[in-house]
Amino acid sequence: MGIRVGVDVGGTFTDFLIKDSEGDARIYKTSTTPEDPTIGFFNGLGKAAADAGQSLQQWLGQVETIVHGTTITTNAVLTGEGAKTGFVTTAGFRDILNMRRGLKERQFDIYAPPPPLVPRRDIAVVAERITSSGDVATPLDEQDVLRAAARFREDGVEAVAVSYLWSFRNDRHERRTREILERELPGVYVSVSTEILPQIRAYERHSTTALNAYVGPVLNRYLSKLRHRLEELGFGGTLLIMQSNGGVMSPDVAQRFASNTLLSGPAGAPQAGIHYGELHRFRNLITVDMGGTSFDVALVRSGAPSMTTEATIAGHRIASPSLDIHTVGSGGGSIAWIDAGGLLHVGPKSAGALPGPACYGRGGALPTVTDANYVLGYLDFAGGELKLDGDAARKAVERHVATPLGIGVVDAAYGIYQVVNADMAAAISVVSVQRGYDPREFVLVVAGGAGPLHAGPIARDLEIPLIQIPRESSVFCAAGMLISDLKHDYVHTYAREFDEVDLGAVAAIYRDIVAKAMQTLEAEHVPGHQAVVDYSADLRYVGQFNEVEVPAFRSGEFSRDALQALAAEFHRRHDELYGYSTPASPLEMINLRVSVRGITDKPVVETHAPHGRDPSGAKTGSRMAWLDGAWVDTPVYDGLGLFNGNVVPGPAIVVQPTTTILVPSDFDLACDAGNNYLMYRKGADVGELIRSLNGEVNL
Amino acid sequence: MSANAMTVEADPILVSVIGNRLDAISKEIGQTMLRTSRSPIFSEARDFVTGIFDHRLRLLAQTAYIPVLMGTLPSALRGIVDEFADDIDEGDVFILNDPYRGNNHPPDITVARPVFQGGQVRFWAVSKGHHADVGGGGVVGYNPAARSVWEECVRIPPAKLLVAGKRNKALWDMILINVRMPWLVEADLECQIGACTVGERSLKALIAKYGLPVLYDAADRILDASDRQMRTVLRRIPNGTYRAERHIDHDGIDKSRMIALRLELTVGDESVHFDWSGSDAQAAGYVNSTLTNTMSAAFQALFMTVCSEVRYNEGALRALSVHAPAGSIVNAREPAPVTTCTVVAAEAIVEATWLALAQAIPERVYAGWGRWLAPSTMGFNPATKRPFGDIHFMAKSGGGAARGYDGWDHMGTVITAGGLRAPDPELHELVNPYRVLQYEFWPDSAGAGQWRGGMGTIHSFRVEADGIAAVNFGGGVNEATRPYGLEGGLSAPRSRVVVRRGGTEQLIDTETFFYLECGDEIEIHETGGGGYGDPRERDRSRVDADVADGLVSPEQAREVYGLSQAGRAGGR
Repeated sequence: MGIRVGVDVGGTFTDFLIKDSEGDARIYKTSTTPEDPTIGFFNGLGKAAADAGQSLQQWLGQVETIVHGTTITTNAVLTGEGAKTGFVTTAGFRDILNMRRGLKERQFDIYAPPPPLVPRRDIAVVAERITSSGDVATPLDEQDVLRAAARFREDGVEAVAVSYLWSFRNDRHERRTREILERELPGVYVSVSTEILPQIRAYERHSTTALNAYVGPVLNRYLSKLRHRLEELGFGGTLLIMQSNGGVMSPDVAQRFASNTLLSGPAGAPQAGIHYGELHRFRNLITVDMGGTSFDVALVRSGAPSMTTEATIAGHRIASPSLDIHTVGSGGGSIAWIDAGGLLHVGPKSAGALPGPACYGRGGALPTVTDANYVLGYLDFAGGELKLDGDAARKAVERHVATPLGIGVVDAAYGIYQVVNADMAAAISVVSVQRGYDPREFVLVVAGGAGPLHAGPIARDLEIPLIQIPRESSVFCAAGMLISDLKHDYVHTYAREFDEVDLGAVAAIYRDIVAKAMQTLEAEHVPGHQAVVDYSADLRYVGQFNEVEVPAFRSGEFSRDALQALAAEFHRRHDELYGYSTPASPLEMINLRVSVRGITDKPVVETHAPHGRDPSGAKTGSRMAWLDGAWVDTPVYDGLGLFNGNVVPGPAIVVQPTTTILVPSDFDLACDAGNNYLMYRKGADVGELIRSLNGEVNL
Repeated sequence: MSANAMTVEADPILVSVIGNRLDAISKEIGQTMLRTSRSPIFSEARDFVTGIFDHRLRLLAQTAYIPVLMGTLPSALRGIVDEFADDIDEGDVFILNDPYRGNNHPPDITVARPVFQGGQVRFWAVSKGHHADVGGGGVVGYNPAARSVWEECVRIPPAKLLVAGKRNKALWDMILINVRMPWLVEADLECQIGACTVGERSLKALIAKYGLPVLYDAADRILDASDRQMRTVLRRIPNGTYRAERHIDHDGIDKSRMIALRLELTVGDESVHFDWSGSDAQAAGYVNSTLTNTMSAAFQALFMTVCSEVRYNEGALRALSVHAPAGSIVNAREPAPVTTCTVVAAEAIVEATWLALAQAIPERVYAGWGRWLAPSTMGFNPATKRPFGDIHFMAKSGGGAARGYDGWDHMGTVITAGGLRAPDPELHELVNPYRVLQYEFWPDSAGAGQWRGGMGTIHSFRVEADGIAAVNFGGGVNEATRPYGLEGGLSAPRSRVVVRRGGTEQLIDTETFFYLECGDEIEIHETGGGGYGDPRERDRSRVDADVADGLVSPEQAREVYGLSQAGRAGGR
């Protein structure tokens, strides 16, 4: 295997993780260049080439795969700078897209709704109607389509989305509309709902299709440029693009399904968790990534990350499957404040990168989590050359928290620390307890510069027995991207009551989907034996308006028995999620789903020889830290000096170039064979812990 | 953590943490309701509320998608506990729908589960939601011919739905035989019990974690903090007495007479008193309000102006008081019918409160939101071979404008404050025997203003089954009840419901029974929101955009907004 490169373009930094054929990893970070992200992209590659003593061309010649996570589409939606988009829908139903189901998120506040993706003047209606049974009630009026095309041409529309009512029952009208539009509007990006999301629920389907069109041209321009430049430089390997569903795809597929990149920013994390857990065969993980402004949580169960079809971006729904990543506004830069009733809150407002926390000395005067960590002695640098200003941190905490609460500055800082920890623990509960999973059966995998300072108390709170902190925790998502499989999700609405299910029809739908999926994988050069197909179905009790996705037909046989097993699994899962089930009630089968994966070759997991238990070689000194209500002289270790088998007893602080780990006094920290850290309650037998979590000990 | 009742105190930090936990648990109960209920009114429209109470029946936290339900949990739980004082055991689950035993109106069934620890009730997990049917002579609970509560519903006094974990079979049988869609009602009661059980599970975990003394101390402090916060916020309203009057269109029985609600609002330094003494006497028909509904609607109106950031709990309400004379339209005497109170009376209460507040803080008050006017329908769907019942929530009105902001489009009645989720037309067609013909914004439906109202909706559908019973309910069909404008902004038009049958067209008044047959077409014009400020002051580019979008006609742009040259009309 040649060199593999993960490139994760974030808001501030572009992260690079480069693995050579021996599995050795190198980390780079360059500044993100928002006006043209390819600049930051090639800056990083240039550095890597230079460190290898080669020209960029020479070096790229040995690169086998580049996996790229881009937020170019995400930013286009957040800033309202997507393509000028037209929308075509059924006459009489012009506004479903912009009604957004008539919801106002903050009901008691006076504020403005999100601007529409497509203003009403660019929404064209066409006389046509398919019924709920798929019959044509009103034939397609092609003149209406032509008129719409003429208007779009006149208005300089760059992309068009088409979504008719009930189109997933009969795609004839959408197919014909697409033909006409493509003929009439050459060069315009056209998305139709039957390709993007052939699924019941008009607003959700419209919105997903419109988002795809809105960001399609943006992603196309970006990828064309990137591929052109890579070609110029003689890159002959494979470029893969990260998706919101945690898989990767080829640029060709990405250009058609551009909306699949919208939530790809944090999507590398669960896969990274799986990768780092591999050494110990961990299958049940909760990954958390604490950055400057937010805290992202995802849950992995039996080696598979949780998915959702209920994501939103900037107030618009994306109903295609994406990783169920729960984000709350708790980051290092989150601001602490006291409400009018005298209660302390942290976030969601953040000081961001500018002015940043008070201790950055860039003009920030409000107390942040980072300031609290500084006051408490947990943190004395923030990575890079930044010199922290302790007086500023203390002043901010004193003025805005300690004085209003009538407590001391250290107590106030510790209060901020506790409140943000509790908020993060609550966020973990959302993806675990609230989804029917017990966090005590999971390993907490912690990433992000600030995460490892808070991991101990969070785990204690939720009684999570084991924490894993990857050494490459600061480029966690890039690491995840590097080892992600190709993955494509398909859905087709079936919508029948259970006793009316026609197994032949169901099998035919699944077969069609799988054939389509296999074609896509083939185009991505995935050999048949590396393709994995997972079937599932969305079920509900008759009368319900929400479904539960249940794995289905694992044997690949579409039999009555398999259907019964599916029903039983649904009742079980419903009970797990919602505290009850009613097995006597009739069921409905709403959506049929297929997820295909093209398994990619994974880099070798590098392991290191045991170094003995004694960590003293890495000890660099000590500093005063506020622990358990007192100032404690706390040993400080250099993380890069810790090796396989070393055990650091808490309390301790472990410092790495971009991360600091706090080992609370009731925790110990061990370095495993992958040179990652495991943290657990003092006195626990780490081997036993690993086994209790169904892992294999590899220390 | 130690648990010595004499000395334990929750420090300020722990108070914040526990407050957030309680909010999260209440949300968790709500999520379960949202995802598993079977009546479209529950799960699509989200017409429900969940809450957590302590052993002293103080409301600690709640989650409401429909805010007018927020203030109505405490009286319902009080009604249950008054009845069962020393007969509450672990595993019991209680039910109540009777409006004269603390509930707000009959379709919203309250289900409450005591949370035990050490043999004592420590907390309550409560849910309340609008059921697909509660029996009686109405359509989905709405009976404009009712002269008493008995014609509206099967009355359920405080009773045990589960006795020590086991179904109280006689009660279930009694309820289910009295409703038209027993499987829906049964499943939704199960859903409410399940949701409260989820709450119980989490509350028990919370007790195990912090211990009761700490939790109770934290509860005191959370409520005190909300009280302080509320009082701080109320200082922003200038002291004074402000009067306002709004009307209910009619009571469905005497259709010629509007009914007045009159408010005298007294704002003190840190208090607000609502006095409804001047209001009309209670009505013969079902537009009467219960006291708990009157309080809830008035509090909601206040929360939507200055107190959006205050936690809605027992503490937050201490500074507020309401006087509503018994026997009046805002506090009817048993056995007056009351089913529409959460909509019809509540809208008038919110509007009167806002018009009073507009004299003090016009910059924080909305123009009128479009009132609800749409049918509920019920019948048998030959396609699914099942009876069905639904409220036509697709007909959503526009929100009122406020200073600096256009109203939100497609909000629905103000009592939902934007929490009412419009049904999906495809799922709707799957369950109901209707073909949706039109579902889009109603041009020129927004009250004009410097900031215009939100857009109303045109919703029409064709009936594909015979013998469907329908009740048109709501308001906004009179000049005096259409959405008002503020500060020079204009009113929005009146709403209307029309039925077309064999070439004839009939306008259906509100609070009216009618039947639908196969081939009939119903068309609902649901109005937009009222405008705020002089329309001639509206930013010209916004008027141009509205014309280009076809939301404002060139005529209205010219005549009302004074646009000299209307731009391209936003045709199809």
